[in-house]
Amino acid sequence: MRSILKATAVSLATLVALAGPASAELTGNLKINLDTSNPAPRATMEALIAKFQAAHPALNITTNVIDREAYKTQIRNFLSADAPDVLTWYAANRMRPYVEAGLLEDVSDMWADGTDIANELASTKGALTVDGKQWGVPYTYYQWGIYYRKDIYEELGLSEPANFDDMLSNCEAMIASGRKCYTIGNKWLWTGAGWFDYINLRTNGFNFHMQMAAGEIEWTDPRVRETFANWGKLIRMGAFIDDNQNKDWQQSLPFIIDGSAGAILMGNFAVSPLREGGLTDDQLDFHQFPAITAGVAMAEDAPTDTFHIAANAKNKDNARAFLAYIVSADAQTEMNNGANLGQLPVNSKASVDDDKFLNKGFEMLSSNSPGGVAQFFDRDFPAEMAQAAMEGFQEFMIYPDNLDDILDRIEGVRKEVY
Amino acid sequence: MFPKPIEKSSRTWQLGYQALLPTVMLLWLAPLLAVALFSIRPDSDFLVGNYWGWPSSFEMTKNYGMVFGSAMPRYIMNSFLITIPTVIGAVALSCMTGFALGVYKFRGNLLIFFMFIAGNFVPFQILMVPVRDLTLDIGLYNTKTGLVLFHIAFQTGFCTLFMRNFIKALPHELIEAARVEGIAEWRIFWFVVLPLMKPAIAALSVLIFTFIWNDYFWAIVLTQGENAQPVTAGITSFNAQFRAMYHLMSAGSIVAALPPVLMFFLMQKHFIAGLTLGAVK
Repeated sequence: MRSILKATAVSLATLVALAGPASAELTGNLKINLDTSNPAPRATMEALIAKFQAAHPALNITTNVIDREAYKTQIRNFLSADAPDVLTWYAANRMRPYVEAGLLEDVSDMWADGTDIANELASTKGALTVDGKQWGVPYTYYQWGIYYRKDIYEELGLSEPANFDDMLSNCEAMIASGRKCYTIGNKWLWTGAGWFDYINLRTNGFNFHMQMAAGEIEWTDPRVRETFANWGKLIRMGAFIDDNQNKDWQQSLPFIIDGSAGAILMGNFAVSPLREGGLTDDQLDFHQFPAITAGVAMAEDAPTDTFHIAANAKNKDNARAFLAYIVSADAQTEMNNGANLGQLPVNSKASVDDDKFLNKGFEMLSSNSPGGVAQFFDRDFPAEMAQAAMEGFQEFMIYPDNLDDILDRIEGVRKEVY
Repeated sequence: MFPKPIEKSSRTWQLGYQALLPTVMLLWLAPLLAVALFSIRPDSDFLVGNYWGWPSSFEMTKNYGMVFGSAMPRYIMNSFLITIPTVIGAVALSCMTGFALGVYKFRGNLLIFFMFIAGNFVPFQILMVPVRDLTLDIGLYNTKTGLVLFHIAFQTGFCTLFMRNFIKALPHELIEAARVEGIAEWRIFWFVVLPLMKPAIAALSVLIFTFIWNDYFWAIVLTQGENAQPVTAGITSFNAQFRAMYHLMSAGSIVAALPPVLMFFLMQKHFIAGLTLGAVK
């Protein structure tokens, strides 16, 4: 193991050393702000930065790790005040306000045709493009889907649903056995947004969903109502756990762990707490959200985390060299493996760690998501729009009969936002 | 007018009181007890929904070990480096302003005093943007010095009110007697008034220490990262990207709450001295 690590370190070092003309020994400063504050990702990032440092001993690197939630409130502050050279953030609409405020550096040159980045990271180019230019590079992403209790499904003679009818009939069987079908903690709203994303992507398709995100479709449109009608079927039959508006997502996990709910729609980050809570890989399994409207191409949510250069950065050349390093196949393989981030690398030449759920997610995203890859509701939709809509979703999940009111309200916000 | 002592009420009242008191106390302490209990639970208890039951195992050493193995000691150190200079600065300044406003009669005395008080009525949230821009312009953004200077400036208003009223209540004859002896004014301040102010200084120090130690708002507005942030802002650094680490945050909160509590117990004598001062003239 150690020799493998050593070999990786050496190969990474040589890789960095050989990375073209920019490989000339870097000097000066490099200030990095990270939001990877939890222990494993933090250690991962620090190890990768240490390797970069080893390849450029004359470079003076300062790393500033900020708690993930605090980071979200501080980013605008530090981008304008005390700008780092490199910083972590999220793709798509989440970076748009900072792009529009002129706080992020245009890195289209790094994405130019024929470069390694353009070739190896093509799948996320769209998510990093605003106004035809690229504003950062991705380093990790993860799949969303349904994590379910295989042992309970088998006990009830159920199988993974292939379409919405299967999903509903599975759910009926589940309810008949005295369980709930899906656990959800919707206190902080984004969990409900996951359900909307998937039901809308399956009912109306990726392009329609993105048109909604761009504000081109009225929320009172009959096609949107169709999405809510499908969602309402699940809500009215009692598919979701009670009192879900008062629980955060972690508080919803005990229901699937003790078997009083059969499944959860969540990102791959749920696997580690579910395993720690006592579920084995024989009990827990993953399936793609089933098709609803026949013929609509499957599309997935796969939120992407990114690195950017601040427009006010003082050491942009060093920052570019660091970005090139962090997206390299080796660096991405290393940082995304199970012991580190436990997510999927974005670089197509990187390899996925041998983990049941990572493999399933990788397979789904690479071969079974022809419709497209969305970021996530609150990353695709503008912040104000997302907030109003998610509050509506929360109300809808408790009072499905208020739908008309809810949609009128969201539509009112849409008219103001765009 | 005054509450009747409980010994003088009827037996039924006494029984009711005795039964109610522990219940209310338990209710009152419930959040604190929960934090204390959470801090010795293993992480898995939160995942299986065992919030209030018996902990499945006791992880005190592990949780607190992780707290001390993380960046917490650094944050606690920052808290001390911010709080202690602020207490010294604010109390020293307000002793002087309090002396000036309480002893000398001059034009505008009351006006200046009211301005100090008026400062307390400004909701500090509205100062957020200007103060942040100011610290940025003077190059004190994201430094402990910036935070200390701001706290001193903002706390001095309240401290002055406290000190001025305290000095005003001192027997003026003492100062006049000293003047008759021909003692310089600064010596009167240093040798006559200051020793009499000890209880007020002690009480105010404890108060300001707790205020500043518990400050969260300015900590996140004016600082970022572990080089300058105090423990209140640093405590959330236990949280993972997707998960809140309740057990570690609870352990961290308890560690972070210890200094002000210790401070209170150490200074308790002065506190009581301050309260009873003047009662037995």
